[in-house]
Amino acid sequence: MQYLRRDKKDEEDGSQSNPFQNLDKSAVLQEARTFNETPINPRKCIHILTKILYVLNQGQHLGTTEATEAFFAMTKLFQSKDVMLRRMVYLAIKELANIAEDVIIVTSSLTKDMTGKEEMYRASAIRALCKITDNTMLQGIERYLKQAIVDKNASVSSASLVSALHLMKPNYDVVKRWVNEAQEAVSSDNTMVQYHALGLLYHVKKNDRLAVSKLIFKYTKQSLRSPYAVCMLIRIASKYLDEEPEVADSPVYDFLESCLRHKSEMVIYEAARALVNLKNLKSRDLCPAISVLQLFLSSPRPTLRFAAVRTLNKVAMTQPMSVTTCNLDLENLITDVNRSIATLAITTLLKTGNESSVDRLMKQISSFMSEISDEFKIVVVDAIRSLCLKFPRKHHVMMNFLSSMLRDEGGFDYKKAIVDTIITIIEENSEAKEAGLGHLCEFIEDCEHTVLATRILHLLGREGPRSQNPSKYIRFIYNRVILENAAVRAAAVTSLAKFGAHCDSLCSSILVLLSRCLLDTDDEVRDRATFYVNILKEKEKALSSGYILNGLQVSIVGLERALYAYVKDSTHTAPFDLKTVPLATTPMKDQVVKPGKTAIETPSAPTKASAPVAATRQDVYAEQLAAIPQFSKLGPLFRSSPKPAELTESETEYVVNCVKHVFNDHIVFQFDCTNTLNDQILENVKVEMEPSDSDFEVVCYVPRPSLPYNTPGTTYALIKLPQDASSVTCTFTNTLKFVVKDCDPSSGEPDEEGYEDEYVLEDIDVLVADHVQRVHKTNFLASWDEIGDECEMQDTYALTQMTSLEEAVKQIIEYLGMQPCERSDKVNTDKNSHALLLAGVFRGGHDVLVRARLAFDQGVTMNITVRSDDAVVSEVVLSAVG
Amino acid sequence: MGLFDKLAGWLGLKKKEMNVLCIGLDNSGKTSIINKLKPDKSQTQDIVPTVGFTVEKFMSQSLNFTVFDMSGQGRYRNLWEHYYKTAQAVIFVLDSSDRLRMVVAKEELDILLQHSEIAARRVPILFFANKMDCKEALSPVQCSQKMGLDAILNKPWHICASNALSGEGLTDGVDWLTDQIRLS
Repeated sequence: MQYLRRDKKDEEDGSQSNPFQNLDKSAVLQEARTFNETPINPRKCIHILTKILYVLNQGQHLGTTEATEAFFAMTKLFQSKDVMLRRMVYLAIKELANIAEDVIIVTSSLTKDMTGKEEMYRASAIRALCKITDNTMLQGIERYLKQAIVDKNASVSSASLVSALHLMKPNYDVVKRWVNEAQEAVSSDNTMVQYHALGLLYHVKKNDRLAVSKLIFKYTKQSLRSPYAVCMLIRIASKYLDEEPEVADSPVYDFLESCLRHKSEMVIYEAARALVNLKNLKSRDLCPAISVLQLFLSSPRPTLRFAAVRTLNKVAMTQPMSVTTCNLDLENLITDVNRSIATLAITTLLKTGNESSVDRLMKQISSFMSEISDEFKIVVVDAIRSLCLKFPRKHHVMMNFLSSMLRDEGGFDYKKAIVDTIITIIEENSEAKEAGLGHLCEFIEDCEHTVLATRILHLLGREGPRSQNPSKYIRFIYNRVILENAAVRAAAVTSLAKFGAHCDSLCSSILVLLSRCLLDTDDEVRDRATFYVNILKEKEKALSSGYILNGLQVSIVGLERALYAYVKDSTHTAPFDLKTVPLATTPMKDQVVKPGKTAIETPSAPTKASAPVAATRQDVYAEQLAAIPQFSKLGPLFRSSPKPAELTESETEYVVNCVKHVFNDHIVFQFDCTNTLNDQILENVKVEMEPSDSDFEVVCYVPRPSLPYNTPGTTYALIKLPQDASSVTCTFTNTLKFVVKDCDPSSGEPDEEGYEDEYVLEDIDVLVADHVQRVHKTNFLASWDEIGDECEMQDTYALTQMTSLEEAVKQIIEYLGMQPCERSDKVNTDKNSHALLLAGVFRGGHDVLVRARLAFDQGVTMNITVRSDDAVVSEVVLSAVG
Repeated sequence: MGLFDKLAGWLGLKKKEMNVLCIGLDNSGKTSIINKLKPDKSQTQDIVPTVGFTVEKFMSQSLNFTVFDMSGQGRYRNLWEHYYKTAQAVIFVLDSSDRLRMVVAKEELDILLQHSEIAARRVPILFFANKMDCKEALSPVQCSQKMGLDAILNKPWHICASNALSGEGLTDGVDWLTDQIRLS
């Protein structure tokens, strides 16, 4: 029956049927027992070996015992003199080498073959041998391999060189000794041998920069015959040049340029590609390479055209001006019969062209959009994205184009690229927002990708309520509640609630819609709907902004740990306090954690859900600190400074970095020390701190008992913060104190006697920013109203040293250590004034919001308003800028 | 087997094929013995310790021998058993000058004889008491005593002194093996 069906299918396909189709692994292994029979039938055995290889290549997994059995049966085929069979055996050995046990048994047989007279055996035997060899056996066969490298027969020599490359990873020290043989092989007449020998030589020397430079100089002088070897040399040279500060003067650069005039096209292309990819090259020096690529553009061979246009496409991303010279040739390629070339040509033109040509190009590209593969469609989408950023005024053309692409068939990656692009355009260009949201709404009407649908619903919830006519989105969102799966329904419910919370006029209608969801079949959807209905019924701005618009701000890992600790604690005297949970350190724009969002996403898209749950750096620190007994009573970690401050120069005897960990009433300084002297062992290492303000009190030090050479060690200092909440800044002078024991650098044995020594480190400042944790408020204005003006402070400063609004914004964010909201960190370049909105949490759990109005007129003038729930905190934050 | 091959077999033109397993402790001279049995022109000068096994072929008057020359090193001895099944005869090489390790050789022989593939079959075993040129070498009789060869009842066996370097005694052993196979 099965045969019949298959035959029928074959007829339909009109193709030849595959004789190895539907092979069964166990049946094949059963057949492999034929190998044990004598005399051997080579033809039958070759067929069986082919089957084994086929099965392995189809991805079937062989167990160790089955593989070993088949392997040993196969070893018996060595008694046959049939050349084809023997070569097949080599292939099978290579495949089974990693699965079967005791594969080493064929070592002597292979060694015999590789040194034997039969030329057909030798190269393949070497390749098989290197697969089964481990480092203990390599010593034994080393001399055969060395001989083979310089063998007259090119295939033998190539095989041994390639094998040496494979062996190098685990056995670098052995292969290193074959350099002389490899050098001899480079001067071979055979193109392949020369290429492989140069490769081996480079890989042996690649960690030694001086040796690499010698290699390059040697072989750029004596010209290599093989174009492959020259290409290899070009790659080595360009890698070498990337680490060189001054490129254009180097003789290596001259070599690359001279390769542009090589007789082989391959070498010319490789040289041009290397030149345009050089990191430190000025655009003027690109000209010769670009003109070579331009020549290739009109080559009759499609491969060359493709290579050239692809390279130019890459160059256009960074240096569009240099590519403009090729525009005429690129225009000709738009109508190329090869669609890949045409696509790349158009996207290159989109990057280099001016605003007027955009319309024409877009029309051109849409004519064959349906004929190219998804991968190239993504290239087109990326080009459109960068184009939109370049010419914001053209957004309606792009938007229409993107929306028609959204309607077409396409895979997930393709749709995701389009949605990403539309979202970027919306975020960058407020004029395009209405149209973009409209297209996205249309898209989710018929979208099979849950991830994309939830993402768009989240975006609608955020942006929709603030548009001119919010009510028009509600129909689209509510349709999802009726038609989609549980994950999308839940997202839609959350999105609806946001409309209700934001627009009072819509609230009553939203309540009607949400109450219909109360009877949903899915738990998550029901829970969300119930939660939102109850909050919206309260009609309290504070509640809805806190629980619907802004959501949870805590670190998920921290929350999990805190809840776990709370559940394990048997007393339960106090209710669980959310304030004790550390805040999320990096609130990403699109990863703001909504209640229950991760829970619902886990079944549908586990990869995406796991991303926000991964432990952040701060969570790792919190765990390390909690393990130290002196710090166990400090409470939850509030904030760790984002990057370690260096307290020494990087090249000194001792290298010390400092990380500040702020707790409710304490600061822990973590000093990561490294001893770079190999003749010393440091003991009892600690950093003594001297505060400039006597209110800061050093509680204790946690010294590091021993610090051997080149192993980083950590010591801590615990500082108590002053009672007076208004004094928060301080400068500490630090001294590294330790006991030195000299030791023998080779053996590492320390002397008995040590002596005390100290080493002066740079000062550490504790700033206001250290006391503030960044928090993202999606709806800043709601939070601003919610917090009220009881503790509002206001002041005006003139920041004379600032030269632009952008710089001022950056500095203020840094001084305050707060999170910019509503994308107010992006300054519109053609305006003279700007409003910066910042949100954060001050140590002790006080919410702080800052609104700064900046005006630019020679210097920057700033009016700053701080609101928080504590007057002292407002004052402290205000003082930070002054 | 093709028709022509069969015809050749009847007429006695084609020689009979024979699979032999050559085992023994390391450094007993297995590879040297096999090397000496090969035709003069294909002999090699340098003999190195075998890793795993090699397949060698040589001819006597009426038989084609295919020998699996196994490695004798301790870590490879447990791999011998993979080749017991196909072996039609066994050559066991002893180092007659190494009195100390004769017990080890006996141990290996016992394991061989007890193996299910060998125990049930009437496999002829040829012992070479190799290195007879050494001064302190044991005689074949002493060897067979030390090895307890008298206890082998269900298999034909033969021991002869040999010198793999000169080739002395080798043809004697191979002739015995040829006779045994012709009988069976």
